[in-house]
Amino acid sequence: MSQGAVFIAAAGIVSPLGCGLEETDAALRAQRSAIAPLDVFSLLQGTPLPTGQVKSLANTESMPPRAHRLARKAAEMAMAGQAQPPDTIVLGCTTGGILTTEELLRRQESSPAAYQAHGLQSLAEDIATLCQCSGPALTVSTACSSGAVAIALALNLLRTGQARRVLAGGVDSLSRLTYYGFHSLQLVDRNGCRPLDVTRQGLAVAEGAGMLLLTIDPPEKPLAMLLGAGLSCDAYHPTAPHPEGKGARAAMEAALEDAGLTPSDIDYINLHGTGTPDNDLAETRAINALFSPPPPLSSIKGATGHSLAASGAIEAVVASLCVSRGLVPGTVGCTQPDPAFGITPQMSCVEQPVGTVLSNSFGFGGNNGCLVIGDGKTQHSTTVPQASGYLAVHGSGCLTGAGLLPVTLQHLQKGLSAAGLLPDAFLAEHLPPRLIRRVKRLARLALLLGQEAVDDTQGKENPAAVFMGTGWGALSETWDFLDRLTSSGEQFPSPTDFVGSVHNSPAGQVAVRLQARGANVTASGGDYSFEQALFTAQTLLPATGQSALLIGADEGHAQFSRLLDRSVETGNLADGGGALYVNRDCAQARCLARLAFYGRGGGHDLPEQMLAALGGVDSLRQQPLLVFAGIPAADREVGDEQLSRFLDLVGESTPVWRYRSFTGEFASASAVAAVMAVQSLEAGAFPGSLVGGQEVPLSTGSRILVLGTGQCLTAMEFQRP
Amino acid sequence: MNELIEELKTKLIELLNLTTLTPEQFDAQAQLVGGELGIDSIDVLEMVVMVERDYGVMINSQEVGEKVFASVASLAAYIEANRAGGDA
Repeated sequence: MSQGAVFIAAAGIVSPLGCGLEETDAALRAQRSAIAPLDVFSLLQGTPLPTGQVKSLANTESMPPRAHRLARKAAEMAMAGQAQPPDTIVLGCTTGGILTTEELLRRQESSPAAYQAHGLQSLAEDIATLCQCSGPALTVSTACSSGAVAIALALNLLRTGQARRVLAGGVDSLSRLTYYGFHSLQLVDRNGCRPLDVTRQGLAVAEGAGMLLLTIDPPEKPLAMLLGAGLSCDAYHPTAPHPEGKGARAAMEAALEDAGLTPSDIDYINLHGTGTPDNDLAETRAINALFSPPPPLSSIKGATGHSLAASGAIEAVVASLCVSRGLVPGTVGCTQPDPAFGITPQMSCVEQPVGTVLSNSFGFGGNNGCLVIGDGKTQHSTTVPQASGYLAVHGSGCLTGAGLLPVTLQHLQKGLSAAGLLPDAFLAEHLPPRLIRRVKRLARLALLLGQEAVDDTQGKENPAAVFMGTGWGALSETWDFLDRLTSSGEQFPSPTDFVGSVHNSPAGQVAVRLQARGANVTASGGDYSFEQALFTAQTLLPATGQSALLIGADEGHAQFSRLLDRSVETGNLADGGGALYVNRDCAQARCLARLAFYGRGGGHDLPEQMLAALGGVDSLRQQPLLVFAGIPAADREVGDEQLSRFLDLVGESTPVWRYRSFTGEFASASAVAAVMAVQSLEAGAFPGSLVGGQEVPLSTGSRILVLGTGQCLTAMEFQRP
Repeated sequence: MNELIEELKTKLIELLNLTTLTPEQFDAQAQLVGGELGIDSIDVLEMVVMVERDYGVMINSQEVGEKVFASVASLAAYIEANRAGGDA
């Protein structure tokens, strides 16, 4: 076994081809395409386009949403017969419970309770509850590479010792948003999906779920090994791939290096191969540049369709099948390979030994994720990533209802609230018009935050990686897309709004602006989204060299916020966020940051677990401690209880600032709190009026804990280097 | 024809959010896609939708699209030649 590899103990798969490994295996061998005209929901007009539907799932129920039911099926399959629950869940997802939300909006449902399964995080939480997992339930949303990126994150959580047993995968259901969205981009082939074919005209939107149970403890009969992963960002265009496949190549190279393999070690490449003219051309160009000659390669999307966030995970399960059963699937749907590729794909399914598979996934925003799955018999030297540790903060920026960082700090000093919505005009004034022409509020917040944090480093180079947390994603674009779809009788959906509606669109915009070509990961974890982004950053940011932007942001939306966010009542809307420029250069840092604890599941011992993760009572008492407590309005009772239990355990009178009274209620408010922590440590003091006492001196060694309470209990730790 | 050109200028400024441009500054003969305004494939699709919705004119091939969206003037000429009734 390679040093950096982890075991794939079991897998679950629900795709248009069928449920489970056996049905999938049989469909692949039979070269069966499951693409058929849509009938999951009815259309107001037009002939239904070809899609990949999971037929075994009834399309009548709306609760829980279809995506949740897909995910449950795959998770139950992966966990069948497993005695131990996973300690961590990592799910890739792009649209969550949107299909149900679409129906609720059409009925003009006005009760927030009806929308509780809308958010991406509701899926990860649902699966964690199903599997009795009390550790982190993380959600990665990087468009069509989400499933692969989720598995890449899981791999590194295991390698760095932050997890031992992870259920990782991806899920998406069909929805009007994606069906009409891809149609509006003219990326759907009316004749079904024909990857790599000379006459290919696009993809077939599909649905499904794939899950891998990954572990560092050797299982009795592992399905295969996860050997490595590579992430990159094109930083080129919101939807079009780099024409030469530059980002795709970088991700493939990174995955091979991570697995300790060379191109000639790969026995089969499972292509992203969506069937769009641009993707297939760019991908094969990248492969030709890296492999001479390429190994057998194929795309299964002519059989399954493109299940978006699920596809990377579904194809990771298929890659495991290829390894464990000696199988190379064919390229269903392709009859005449495009001569422009200079590559002949594997046309039909054959049995032959497969030791290693490279599986590609690429998404909007230029988000690329490649996985290497194999039998673990090929050994080369690998550099095993070091245990996570602190991130070094070199710059910061924030946005609140009051304004940028300096004004926000003035409000803090004066004990005034900074909660509110900055006028759109304020954001527009601070950003170049051409840059923001096509993007709405959340991307503008992210671009401005990124700019502020990079400027604050006073001359450090642009970051290579971007990690972003957002509770709800681009609400303006999502709302506007669905609104125009409905008001035009499903005739005139907006391609621009669709592109902007994906959760990773803002981070993709930031990457293009800063030419950040490293990992680009958006996490979406409700009130703990910034915590999830920090966790992702400390897990994926290499121990040396690379710098990253860590952003947390959410937009307040007049209609959506009150329906979706339980903490946003009828009061005033608030939004904003925070950004940190981070790397591993702790010596020069202005502050050190890490996610020290992430627990969930309502267990009464969560405060005890958190205390232990922070080094115990003695460690906390050694140095002055200041707590910034995030208690979402909807979880006030349980949040107060968690906080007072923790303070009781610490046992000394610890000053506490309840920061949501300052930031207002929005999901990534903790990003603002994080920036206030960095600034306060640097200033050496925190205003006494905010903690109901004397000014709190913050010297070297002082610690600020930014706690998240409620459904989860989290601790971000900040201290001077 | 000139009226249609002026109408399209105003529509495109709003549709594509060209906030720095006034209709007077908008050169009807200048390269529209891939030119100085930063208009690309996503905007082209947005314009395709607008042309169908507001003028009932379909543009459903990339080859036609490239010619039609060469400039505001060429877009106006195409709409003029293809809209129902040909009323101008």
